[in-house]
Amino acid sequence: MAQWLADRLVGCYAEDRSGAKAAPVQGGREAGLSVLRGFSVVGYATRRNFVPGDLTTVSRLSPYLRHGMLGLAEVAEAVRAEVGRTADAVKFWAELGWRVFWRGLFARLGRSVYSDLEPAKVPLGSGTMPPEVERGETGLVCMDETVRELVATGYIHYHARMWFASYLVHHRKVSWREGERFFYRHLLDGDPASNALSWQWVASTFSSKPYFFNRENVEKYTAGRWCARCQARCPFDGSYSALETRLFGGKL
Amino acid sequence: MSAPVLVWLHGDSLSTEDPAVRRYPSAPRVFVFDEPWLRGVRPSFKRLFFLFEGAVDAGAQIRLGDPATEVLSAMEEAGAARLAVTRSPAPRFDEWMEALHGRVDLEVVEPEPWIRIPDAFPLRRFTPFWKKLGAEWS
Repeated sequence: MAQWLADRLVGCYAEDRSGAKAAPVQGGREAGLSVLRGFSVVGYATRRNFVPGDLTTVSRLSPYLRHGMLGLAEVAEAVRAEVGRTADAVKFWAELGWRVFWRGLFARLGRSVYSDLEPAKVPLGSGTMPPEVERGETGLVCMDETVRELVATGYIHYHARMWFASYLVHHRKVSWREGERFFYRHLLDGDPASNALSWQWVASTFSSKPYFFNRENVEKYTAGRWCARCQARCPFDGSYSALETRLFGGKL
Repeated sequence: MSAPVLVWLHGDSLSTEDPAVRRYPSAPRVFVFDEPWLRGVRPSFKRLFFLFEGAVDAGAQIRLGDPATEVLSAMEEAGAARLAVTRSPAPRFDEWMEALHGRVDLEVVEPEPWIRIPDAFPLRRFTPFWKKLGAEWS
């Protein structure tokens, strides 16, 4: 069926015709309900920040919520039915709340979500996407694995999204619009407002300070798996204070 | 007897639980791949196939082309006199509505939000937003 559709949509998608393949997850409400039935919120508050699939508790519901295949209310109620009002449930509901927030902003701002909403709090670059970053060939395992998974599956964990966005905007000085377009092209849950405004949140044009991270953070939330096989000189190694100076010229 | 209706499903509400489908559950449904937009953006095929599966699951006829033009053709083929569609916050949705204005009996169905944002509520940062409007879920 994927080949049949690929033939009919030639010129409408990013890949060559031979590279046009279905995502590993199935679309549609029935598939979304199946994912919802398989999701337990227990442990969500403490384990959601972990990236590896065997360590995390993320729901993987975002593509279904993005396209209205599942509703926010029914997902919120399903969690309430499972555990009631627990710390895990409250954290999960807040994540659903972000979707309401982004949607509300989109209704008010329209295409302005693609322009800086506020002055940047740090100097930003205007570079274009470096080809080796887009190909996942930087030598930094954390970045290259993120790109590989994004392109292969249409999904990446939210923490990896933040690390990648911060790397692109603050280390490589690439315009956040370039990263926004790259993510939007590939993410099954790609949503104009959520995506663009999250990039602005990292860049500091929709937040009070830029988002950045260090190697210790990556090691902690990947159980050290990426760093253990990385041979590159790590640009994220150092304290937050040292990185602030390196990236932004001083304490924020 | 009410006029025959066609329900238009789009990428923000692609489900049998779509509010317009729920209002007209026995009406035929259509989903249109927005060809001019797709040729500009060129998303990954995975995204398009995910939408395709959603449209199939929702029981929609699937078309490719300019959405406003295609829904008019679909209405004609279905013998529909009215078009029902669920509102989207996307600017493109407003442009489609403008393109169809006066050309078709159009019914925009308002979705029932999980949490309603009052028009006057200032949306600046998430934390104050959620503290106030998400209180039931906090």
